[in-house]
Amino acid sequence: MKHIQIGFILFASFVLLPFFIKAQTTAENETDTIDKVKQDTLVQVAFREVAKSNLLGGVSVVDVEDLMNKNYHTYSLENMEGYIGGWNGNLLWGMDDRLVLIDGVPRDADNVLPSEIEDITFLKGASAVVLYGSRAAKGVIYITTKRGKAQPLQVNVRVNTGFHVSKSYPKYLNSAEYMTLYNEALVNDGRDPLYSQEDIYNHASGSNPYRYPNVDFYSSDYLQKAYNRTDILTELVGGNERAQYYTNIGYYRQGDFLNFGEAANNYDERLNVRGNVDVKLNDFIDAYINANATFYTSRGINYTDSDPDDDENVDNYWTYAASMRPNRIAPLVPLSYIDGNALSALSLVNNSSNIIDGKYFLAGTQVDNKNVFADSYAGGYNKWKNRQFQFDTGIDFDLQNFLQGLSFHTQFAVDYATSFTSAYENEYAVYIPRWYNYNGDDVIGELEKEGNDEKSGNPDFSDENYRQTIAFSGWFDYSTTVNNNHNISAVLVATGYQQAESGVYHNTANANLGLQLSYNFKNKYYTDLAGAIVHSAKFAEGNRNAFSPSVTLGWRMGQENFLSNSSVIDDLILSVSGSVLHTDMSIDGHYEYAGSFNQSDGAWWGWYDGAAERSTNAIQGENEDLTFIKRKELSANLRTSLWKNTINADASFFMNSMEGMVTQPMGLYPNYFFTYYPEASFVPNVNYNNDQRMGIDFSVNYNKDLGDVDLTLGVSGTYYTTEATRRDDTNYEYDYQKRQGKAVDGIWGLESAGFFQNQSDIDNSPTQTFGGTVKPGDIKYVDQNNDNVIDSRDEVFLGKGGWYGNPFTLGVNVTAKWDNLTFFVLGTGYFGAYAMKDDNYHWVYGDRKYSEVVRGRWTEETKGSATYPRLTTQSGSNNFRNSDFWLYSTDRFNIAKVQITYDIPKSLLQNIFFKELSAYVSGSNLLTISPERETLEMEVTNAPQTRFYNLGVKAVF
Amino acid sequence: MKNIIKILVLLFLVTGCQDVFTPEIENIRGLDAMHQEPTYAQGILANAYILLPYSNSPNSDLATDDAVTNDFENDYLSMATGSWSSDNNPTSQWQGRRNAIQYLNIFLANADDVVWAKDEVIRTMFNDRLKGEAYGLRALQMYHLLLSHGGWTEDGRLLGVPIVTEPEDKDSEFNVPRNTFQECVEQIMADIDKALELLPLDYGDVSDSEVPQKYQELGVTNASDYNRVNGNHMRGRISGRIVEAVRSQVALLAASPSYTDGTEMTWEDAANYAAIVLDRINGVSGMDDDGWTWFANTGEIDGLGSGVTPAEIIWRSDISQSNDLETDNFPPSQYGNGRVNPTQNLVDAFPMANGYPINHPSSNFDASSPYDNRDPRLTNYIVINESTQGPNDAVVVTGTYGDNEDAINRESGLSTRTGYYLRKLLRSDCNPNPEYDTEQKHYTARIRYTEIFLAYAEAANEAWGPTGTGGNGYSAYDVIGALRQRAGVGNGNGDPYLDEVAGSKDQMRELIRNERRLELCFENHRFWDLRRWNVELNKLNETALGMQIAETGGGKEYETIDVEPRMYKDYMYHGPIPYQEILKWDNLEQNAGWN
Repeated sequence: MKHIQIGFILFASFVLLPFFIKAQTTAENETDTIDKVKQDTLVQVAFREVAKSNLLGGVSVVDVEDLMNKNYHTYSLENMEGYIGGWNGNLLWGMDDRLVLIDGVPRDADNVLPSEIEDITFLKGASAVVLYGSRAAKGVIYITTKRGKAQPLQVNVRVNTGFHVSKSYPKYLNSAEYMTLYNEALVNDGRDPLYSQEDIYNHASGSNPYRYPNVDFYSSDYLQKAYNRTDILTELVGGNERAQYYTNIGYYRQGDFLNFGEAANNYDERLNVRGNVDVKLNDFIDAYINANATFYTSRGINYTDSDPDDDENVDNYWTYAASMRPNRIAPLVPLSYIDGNALSALSLVNNSSNIIDGKYFLAGTQVDNKNVFADSYAGGYNKWKNRQFQFDTGIDFDLQNFLQGLSFHTQFAVDYATSFTSAYENEYAVYIPRWYNYNGDDVIGELEKEGNDEKSGNPDFSDENYRQTIAFSGWFDYSTTVNNNHNISAVLVATGYQQAESGVYHNTANANLGLQLSYNFKNKYYTDLAGAIVHSAKFAEGNRNAFSPSVTLGWRMGQENFLSNSSVIDDLILSVSGSVLHTDMSIDGHYEYAGSFNQSDGAWWGWYDGAAERSTNAIQGENEDLTFIKRKELSANLRTSLWKNTINADASFFMNSMEGMVTQPMGLYPNYFFTYYPEASFVPNVNYNNDQRMGIDFSVNYNKDLGDVDLTLGVSGTYYTTEATRRDDTNYEYDYQKRQGKAVDGIWGLESAGFFQNQSDIDNSPTQTFGGTVKPGDIKYVDQNNDNVIDSRDEVFLGKGGWYGNPFTLGVNVTAKWDNLTFFVLGTGYFGAYAMKDDNYHWVYGDRKYSEVVRGRWTEETKGSATYPRLTTQSGSNNFRNSDFWLYSTDRFNIAKVQITYDIPKSLLQNIFFKELSAYVSGSNLLTISPERETLEMEVTNAPQTRFYNLGVKAVF
Repeated sequence: MKNIIKILVLLFLVTGCQDVFTPEIENIRGLDAMHQEPTYAQGILANAYILLPYSNSPNSDLATDDAVTNDFENDYLSMATGSWSSDNNPTSQWQGRRNAIQYLNIFLANADDVVWAKDEVIRTMFNDRLKGEAYGLRALQMYHLLLSHGGWTEDGRLLGVPIVTEPEDKDSEFNVPRNTFQECVEQIMADIDKALELLPLDYGDVSDSEVPQKYQELGVTNASDYNRVNGNHMRGRISGRIVEAVRSQVALLAASPSYTDGTEMTWEDAANYAAIVLDRINGVSGMDDDGWTWFANTGEIDGLGSGVTPAEIIWRSDISQSNDLETDNFPPSQYGNGRVNPTQNLVDAFPMANGYPINHPSSNFDASSPYDNRDPRLTNYIVINESTQGPNDAVVVTGTYGDNEDAINRESGLSTRTGYYLRKLLRSDCNPNPEYDTEQKHYTARIRYTEIFLAYAEAANEAWGPTGTGGNGYSAYDVIGALRQRAGVGNGNGDPYLDEVAGSKDQMRELIRNERRLELCFENHRFWDLRRWNVELNKLNETALGMQIAETGGGKEYETIDVEPRMYKDYMYHGPIPYQEILKWDNLEQNAGWN
């Protein structure tokens, strides 16, 4: 809580700052209204800004401020693959992690809204991130927020409102069909049907849905068609030559699909205030202060935990929607069904504190004595609150008095994030109705109570977390030009940060020293040498430092005589880089090198009915040689501009090898060197696994004036392959099982060969040993090793999972401007990856809810056309396991965004107080084009995917 | 401005640089810390206790003809129905037992260097006891390795597991062949001898004059010194008596039909080792009258003093307050999950109260009222249709006419699949209803005298015939008669069936095996007993049966139904060596049939 106070004070004093500055300075600068020419040619890279034309590859940039004028979006990294190559949706160049820096400090990408961002630099290449050290070794996303300008106060206001409309719902079978097919499944298992025809008829007829339920989670009784999201944003920008300020105040709130009980009040909201001030203190010292506060609140209801033994599972409406069968219970039953003479039932239910709408009681059975509907009516609600305070400050010294071109910069940041949940958790009783039929009418003659009503007066607090980040950087920057030809620059950096999190003993930390030396001759021949001494406390003394070097050579061919007169080529620059980065990312703990024993985490055992002691366990074997993981990389980049900037293109080739990833190679030691309980191991951590990645990325932009229409077309993409170049494969007997040599994101499973059509088919095939009796209608598998047994040894590589980005990612964006009308379309495509239809919508067995897919089940009659194995009430362990039967391609092309923007002509605004005014309508996630569209658009156990239709207005005062 | 920089740098330093330059101190310790710190050293030994191979609930029974489970995801269910393989083996002991042995070897290699107490004599006594425990536990862990992994190779040799008696580290040679079964038995016997030399028979406070001779000779005159090491407060740890019982188990295994050709152990040895245990309680006369309902003797359990064992129990776990077993196994109407469902096969194995098997001409068994006049153990171990269960003695209807989830196959995952629910091991005074959540005291019976009685009967019958005593003062006949009598079988008529079979070793063998099945049901014995006996494959693969009871106009209709097949192959008499280990170490030889 103390952090919050500090945050508030810092913050409050800060937000007011712009007004003082304004008060002081407007007088002296009344005429200073010239917009600073936007230096769109300067790109933020590690610890400096570089003219875009001098970039040497492995770096892409997106001008978010400009993008927001035609594409209003709400998440900072949303669809960035639509504009640049090398970013495949969440990661860079297919690597398995990345570092997000906001204004140079490690922060969360979702805690800055696009409206607060000026631009985002994607530092993909090893050569581009070397100065950031160990934690940055897998790429950096550098988000630069907007800053003040030397101009009179300008106020920007933006208001949006829109609706999320669900794309599709899973299709589950109704009660009658479920019961009929469940009976079929029972018969398949050699058992008698459970539901009588009369029962099924009653559920089907719907004449009394309270006695014979048919619950549809996706009906309008429980869900609304759309929910609203509204945001409002105000920016204050201004300043003078000495001081510039920027303030951004935003708020949004969005609802939820659920529209019954307490859940109808669910919402998420966020309030943020961000601001910064740049001050020129004297001729050689500039300083800035940045601050940001964000307040999130999310209100939801308390859901019954379906499996208290499992800490991992999280229940919500959508998980229950995917599992609760339609015929089980009617959650609400009208009081009017209770027999007027059933006095004990009436007195029982009248004591309930949960009579809904004055006419329903909460119903259940002994087995289903809680349900998600009653949770919403009677279980209480909770609020999750998250508050983030971010504060950073820096000073820039111009040291030209010592040396022309030399400057020193320093930055210091402190961030706090805290979150907690406060919940009003209520217990409730449900009533089990006993139905009777009097003269053809269903009545309830008896009620039995299960559980008790208990209202909680005080909120329970839980999930309290905090995180603190401290970051510090200091760097010298030197640049000079000698004889007009020799451009020399150098950067010397010391930087470090650490993050402390509640419940995590060790801090995440990074410390390194970096030096970059750049030289180019006439902006034609470039060399760039960079190196960093990285330090990690995770290794044994002696292994804690490593040197990461990088060399880049560039050649601006466009300036050579043979091209400089070309009518086609305006510019062409080619660069090649080689780097070796050292990182301790993905090494979880400290002391992983130490051979160690430990009793403080040991398991307890007891004797004498009370005496107890703890085990002393081996934690890991010793390996003092444990050291950094290396990213060795070779990359080449080509950038060109053709036909007088009609076409701009940027393409990279990369090949990198992550070497010495840490594992415990179980293949080298007996299995008893390791136990789950007590959690213990004699096996050392070893730098063992190697991964190789190779690929290309590109982005091409085409600009053309077609008469009145100004057209821009952009195409970008990333294609890459991976190979596990070293693995401990001792555990695999057959070559086709070996992981080495295969893609690192492989999906492994059996190869299917249709359904068994009859018993003799089964008898004449290899034995399938997954438990349970194999019957006709079960999936038949291919015996890869010809040992006449089908088991896990017959699993083969089925395809790439695309876990680090799809093998091929494509983005297409089109902007057409016609007078004041701007039309924008964004498409994204993802190709080459596969997934398994293994959720409980597709894997239906035991007591799972039945979905539409089971209609294609195998039966004796449909054996020729069946698309689904025979139904079973047992575990179906032969059929429901990874195999190509369930594999599907996730290839798709999305129309991610369409927006039409109308800028009210300035001529119309002259006499009113707006400087600019524009309005826009947009649609997001409109269309998915894919053979597997239905599967890709459907969410099982999660809230539905939505299309988002938005209407917005932006005004500048 | 310079000041600001100073402040900033200072702030950064003051807020700490943990884990930036050097790692925050963690309590990382080495092995040698054990020498100066007895608690830390005992923690090494503790692993062998934590990893003991005893379960408080029926597991392997679910893969036999005695029971099925209504949890279709259960590993033993898959195993019984065709998935048992060398890389999918829920009965594997390789990892747990050998891990325990590794800790025991570390312990034994270091124990002499540990300063257990400042006083040298007390230190010696501690060292004796703790090493005795370690030897005893190593023998026990080894026994369970033999049980689960010992077997015949393709070329007809009976192998055990690699004998490892020294600590291993990352540089050790792991590619070692399995020792023979006989060598393993010898190793176990050697460990047992050492353990018996070092351990007291029982832990308990003694008076000055009762201090063992060997310690008196070292100068221990004050009983409190001895009691500090071996007194009451050590009860529950492995003792000489327990080690003797383990020796009896090992001997019975090695003498059994599936192993006898590869070992030097005889039935006579097995009987005599059992007799050593039984003679400690004066043989048959020491048999606990209530031992057959040990789990339900609530007064006895609730009144147990710390570490005290009831007369039936040789070794038990600590007492715990819980209702986990009841939550798992009570019928659904009693808020349980109905997990373990006893089979009709087992129900049929219970004789009539008059002692005759139900298919015997003299049994008076009436198929239309199949539960009448049966062995009292039937209803004490199994919840049958219309019997009661739970704290309120609610009637449980498993027949198809029942109006709640207790009815057979009514609710998947809750209802019984066989028409029976488990009663054994459970306490009916527990209430898993979440509204009450009543828990009671339970303990796990690790080794019971009944098991050793049955081991004696089995071995004595083979060695000396049904009525031979081999000089032990009691015969197989005596033991089985006493077991049946205490359960109330043949009490009214002098158990004529027992006399009928006493004339034939073969018939007596069948009776002993059946008694063992009944007495030890749901205690994880039968799976290995069937294999130890080398029963016919069709016996291993006896389909698990259930009883479906319908109500027809006042009467009841009983129909036996098939519930679940058993799908074992002809080589599945011995468990496999783990597949991955075979791949890693080519000197490890697999048991015949497995790959």
